[in-house]
Amino acid sequence: MVGGLEGLMMVHVLFGMLCIVAAVWVFVDVLNVSEANIARIRMLSVAVAVFMWLAYLIGGYWYVTQYYADKAIILKGPWPWAHNFFMEMKEHVVLGLLLLTTYLPIAAASNLVANKSARTLVLWVVGLIALIGVAMDGSGAIIGVGVKVGLLPH
Amino acid sequence: MANSDTLGKYTVAYALSLAVVSVLNGLLVILKETHEESVLALMKRLTGHHWITHGIFVIIAFVVLGWLFSRANGGRGIQIPVPRLIGLLVAATVVGGALIAGFYLIEG
Repeated sequence: MVGGLEGLMMVHVLFGMLCIVAAVWVFVDVLNVSEANIARIRMLSVAVAVFMWLAYLIGGYWYVTQYYADKAIILKGPWPWAHNFFMEMKEHVVLGLLLLTTYLPIAAASNLVANKSARTLVLWVVGLIALIGVAMDGSGAIIGVGVKVGLLPH
Repeated sequence: MANSDTLGKYTVAYALSLAVVSVLNGLLVILKETHEESVLALMKRLTGHHWITHGIFVIIAFVVLGWLFSRANGGRGIQIPVPRLIGLLVAATVVGGALIAGFYLIEG
């Protein structure tokens, strides 16, 4: 069922992108924190974690059960480093990202309106999430192109 | 009454746990990739795939260390100035990522 698996990968990317978007939203909301948006910040912080866990579980399932075929294509193609560096790096750095997103709701549970230290902490955590998330997204794109160029006549 | 600029014990404990586990994550990558016959093979045997074992190890370490750090100091948790905590967290995240990226840049 190739169509279903391709769809699964698209859902993986979708949840990854939603995680980044929600993280940027939290960043901006924390910069403008007040009693009016504190509940939204906490809800979005949980959403960041949920989106990341969904992206991780779906991508992980695909990686463990399906990726071997793509890996073989990449390694025989002109971009073997798409696997040897980008995939290897991505599959392990993403575990750190998973923990950062899991930690975010804990940090965001602080009184962000009154506590400047807590605001600073949340800004750093969510900033790291957004930056690493973009790096993971870019790595995924390179891996996808690695498969594509591996399938081209060469 | 707690200072309004201090952090809760779980916020501190799990930030420290995150810092420690970020570095451990990078070190485990190097350890398993440089010991394929022993460490990597064991990790594969435990769950069927080294990456699943790696993920479970990292998640359990994060939860357990955070819980232990929150129990320190007679249950008050670890006391650390917030700027130092943030510095540790950011530095450990960068170091953990650099260990992984650097290893595969050299060995990949």
